[in-house]
Amino acid sequence: MNLSQVGESRVNGYLFVFERSLKSFLPIDIVRDARREIESHVRERVAAHDGSPNEREALERILAELGPPLRVAQAYSAERIIDEAVTTGRVVPIARAVWQLAITTVRGFFVGLGLLCGYLGGIGFLLVAVIKPFFPQNAGIQMKNGWPVGISAQFPAPAEPLRGGYWIIPICLILGFAILVFTHRGARAFLGRSRNKLRNPRDPRDPSVLR
Amino acid sequence: MSRETWQEQLRRGSLDLAILLSVSSGPRYGLAIIQHLEAFTDLVVTEGTIYPILGRLTREGLLDAKWVEGEAPHARKYYRLTRAGELRLREMKAEWLAFVDKIGRLLHAAETSAR
Repeated sequence: MNLSQVGESRVNGYLFVFERSLKSFLPIDIVRDARREIESHVRERVAAHDGSPNEREALERILAELGPPLRVAQAYSAERIIDEAVTTGRVVPIARAVWQLAITTVRGFFVGLGLLCGYLGGIGFLLVAVIKPFFPQNAGIQMKNGWPVGISAQFPAPAEPLRGGYWIIPICLILGFAILVFTHRGARAFLGRSRNKLRNPRDPRDPSVLR
Repeated sequence: MSRETWQEQLRRGSLDLAILLSVSSGPRYGLAIIQHLEAFTDLVVTEGTIYPILGRLTREGLLDAKWVEGEAPHARKYYRLTRAGELRLREMKAEWLAFVDKIGRLLHAAETSAR
């Protein structure tokens, strides 16, 4: 079956949405390869429908069997991104995978928020440790009504002086690294569970599930 | 666990093996793999999601992918088993047969004791 101009537009529209969804997460060469493969699939299916009296109906059936472009793209990117993050354990792939889950699932959003707080907290402690030797009056323990309420670095230095001598440096270093390691392990564990869930989904409505 | 979920997990768990078996006799492209699965099993997949699985198996080094031009009006991406894929398939087949045998014996024992 040769597609009419309308049919071609429908196929191109499907591929455009698919490609655009993938571009947010995957390198361009992988996106192009994935698009080419999906296009090849559609063209193959269209060719097999030779002689079909109703092009629109046939094309819609082909695209429905393929699945919605956003969902197909999600299956593509989730498989790849989470796989890379869990396998390598590197910060950038993990951040990318958490971001992907955060914008596609509710659970991912809240876990992502928690992980962001963890990473920022860890980095914060390390920054205080780095700043303290150079600006001793600006980094230290913040007091309120005689009680310590936090460790911070403030510019300009606050009216009520920050407490704590250079001994807070090792404490901040230990706390910072401990929080970062704990958060990073948590991120890997979360992504590992997400990968297992992706490969063995429980929800039959999940598009990646077999019909 | 509902029956549907259990069936789903069973099917999903055997899909990697089914795909590797589909290309064990020779290279096949995505749609040909889907059609092969449809012809021999009821593992009918949502077509768009077989490609990410093929991609993963390729990344794991079990499959090798190659674009072939000129065979059809459009290019086709063929997948074939690598040496590592052949070894994995052999292991998976042995494990599958052992698993089926164990469950079969369990079913037989349950039926015998019920009589």
